[in-house]
Amino acid sequence: MSPWATVQDDSQLTGRPLVVPGAGPYGGDLEIPEPLVTGGKKWADVDRDICMHAERFPTRRWWLAFGVALALLGVLVVSLAVLIYSGMGVVGVNHPVGWGTFIINFVFWIGIGHAGTLISAVLYLFRQPWRTGINRAAEAMTIFAVACAGIFPIIHLGRAWFAYWLVPYPNARGPLWVNFTSPLAWDIFAISTYALVSIAFWYLGLLPDLATVRDRATHPWRRRLYNALSFGWTGSQRMWRHYEAAYMILAGLATPLVFSVHTIVSFDFATSVMPGWHTTIFPPYFVIGAIFSGFAMVITLMTFMRGYFGMKNYITTNHMEAMAKILMFTGMMVGFAYTTEFFMAWYSGSEWEGFVFKNRAFGPYGWAYAIMFTCNAIVPQLFWWKKLRRHTWVLFTVSILVNVGMWFERYVIVVTSLHRDYLPSSWGMYSLTFWDYSILIGSFGLFFTLFLLFVRVLPVVAISEVKGVMDPRVARSAPTDSGAAAVTAGAAPGA
Amino acid sequence: MMPTSTRGLLGHFCTPDEALAAAARVRDAGYRHFDFLTPFPVHGMEEAMGQKRSWIPWVTGVLAICGILFALGLQYWAMVFDWPLNHGGKPFNAWPAFIPITFEAMVFWAALGSAVVAVIAGKRDTIPQPPPLLVETGATVDRFVLWISATDPRWEPAEVEAFVRSLGANGVRFVDVSGGNDA
Repeated sequence: MSPWATVQDDSQLTGRPLVVPGAGPYGGDLEIPEPLVTGGKKWADVDRDICMHAERFPTRRWWLAFGVALALLGVLVVSLAVLIYSGMGVVGVNHPVGWGTFIINFVFWIGIGHAGTLISAVLYLFRQPWRTGINRAAEAMTIFAVACAGIFPIIHLGRAWFAYWLVPYPNARGPLWVNFTSPLAWDIFAISTYALVSIAFWYLGLLPDLATVRDRATHPWRRRLYNALSFGWTGSQRMWRHYEAAYMILAGLATPLVFSVHTIVSFDFATSVMPGWHTTIFPPYFVIGAIFSGFAMVITLMTFMRGYFGMKNYITTNHMEAMAKILMFTGMMVGFAYTTEFFMAWYSGSEWEGFVFKNRAFGPYGWAYAIMFTCNAIVPQLFWWKKLRRHTWVLFTVSILVNVGMWFERYVIVVTSLHRDYLPSSWGMYSLTFWDYSILIGSFGLFFTLFLLFVRVLPVVAISEVKGVMDPRVARSAPTDSGAAAVTAGAAPGA
Repeated sequence: MMPTSTRGLLGHFCTPDEALAAAARVRDAGYRHFDFLTPFPVHGMEEAMGQKRSWIPWVTGVLAICGILFALGLQYWAMVFDWPLNHGGKPFNAWPAFIPITFEAMVFWAALGSAVVAVIAGKRDTIPQPPPLLVETGATVDRFVLWISATDPRWEPAEVEAFVRSLGANGVRFVDVSGGNDA
């Protein structure tokens, strides 16, 4: 039997491996890590536990959450209608801060998405088996975050109805092309590629699980629907062979893609000549900040999934602790980048750079800088303590603070460089109006509406991947020679 | 062409290790028209079943090159021939500035193309009589189902059944489904 057969519950996990002295290679210690799935689950239980949420009528709690999310989505729709109807004047962007709320929110949401790709692709390449519990929901988060992000640059155009002009295609406006050497054109390619490749990667991962949902379905139409969605997946080894190859390749392609996307987003700033933006540190600084903010959002969402969807056996405290470690590590890198910026501003000897950074930390927007630095660089230091890494409320609170801090990071970057540039006579201040706030809050409505719909119709945990990391000695079904009848009982919905 | 009936033998195993050992013995016994249905990918199954590595990486490589050429070609043609604009006296063929879009196009073609081709290849790469999609086999739940098709040159019902039983398979039974590979 497995040495961990006694671990029945998430609360019994310690986060430490079982050490068997002298049992390892060359007479060393053998360390047996704790199981990734607790509760003595069998493979058949996984199907039921995970598909259950999509197979029953929504709970009152779900309706409540969905109602709130829909109301916020309504706020977004109204805000966008007002923005497009009245024009950009209703929000705070004006001279000299022409890049306000839209660019802040765009970079914020794109950054959130990056953790999903990191979990699904980078941790896959690094062979981290704990990713299996969270990758499906994290990838969904990526897609929904990119959907939110996509709104903002389009609105920022001012005339959103001409957004298709950004796409290069042979047109009747003369030989008129986008400027392919502009970072804003790079953005179009980067974001749309990122969105589509993320969807393809996510859907490829879903195929075997859609087949599982199909095989559990009792209604013939549900069965047909999920059969079509899974492209008639049978689980044949001849399918798995190509599937596994493609999955590995997509992971390999998504990894440089995710780095390129936020690099290109940072080029929007770095290729300008603004002090505080025109720095070579921007690409790595943006990428690591994106991963940092995304992991915070994953922790926020996983806390809800553990609590409200009863996923504690699949997303265990050990998973949360692993994410807390990544959050602390990336938080330190972000803090290091903040400090490096100051060093470089001083070391460059450039008067403008020096002024911008003094103004950033101690000028009129010093309060935003303080929020940013505290939330991103100082608060995650709590995770040096194992007890705090494994404490649900501490994790949740820190994840929220990091989300706030990362929003302010983008606020600081966008606003402080623009509001006081080379010419003191052009200096000004920037403040958010009612519509700035409503569009930000409304974008959360879109995000949560999509996420809540996702948990209703699709398996929220990658069933086939979780099964692969479970101990067969615990998870196997009882051998039986009676064939069909016994197996049917295991596969029946709600069994 | 859809066969009017699918005939063959089913037997299942309860763990990936048993399935791997069985696959190797089926391969060594000389069977060719057989398949395994598994709820999750079993590592080492390709070798155990005597399959070659998937050729999908070649598709990825070719598509990646297509993506690079397409993006570079479009940008070069548009910026140099069709609509050359003088940006501060910089060269029309500003190739370093074409790299980001070229990279994104490479990933776009390679990733989406590989995903689509892999799904189609998985459906088409099959034995003359693929295993019927039977829910009660539990192949998407917790069963590692061995299927030997009646089209196999070595097909001899009594012999096959005895052989599969000797592998330690559970629930061994003959299947004869009309209508081919259908749910």
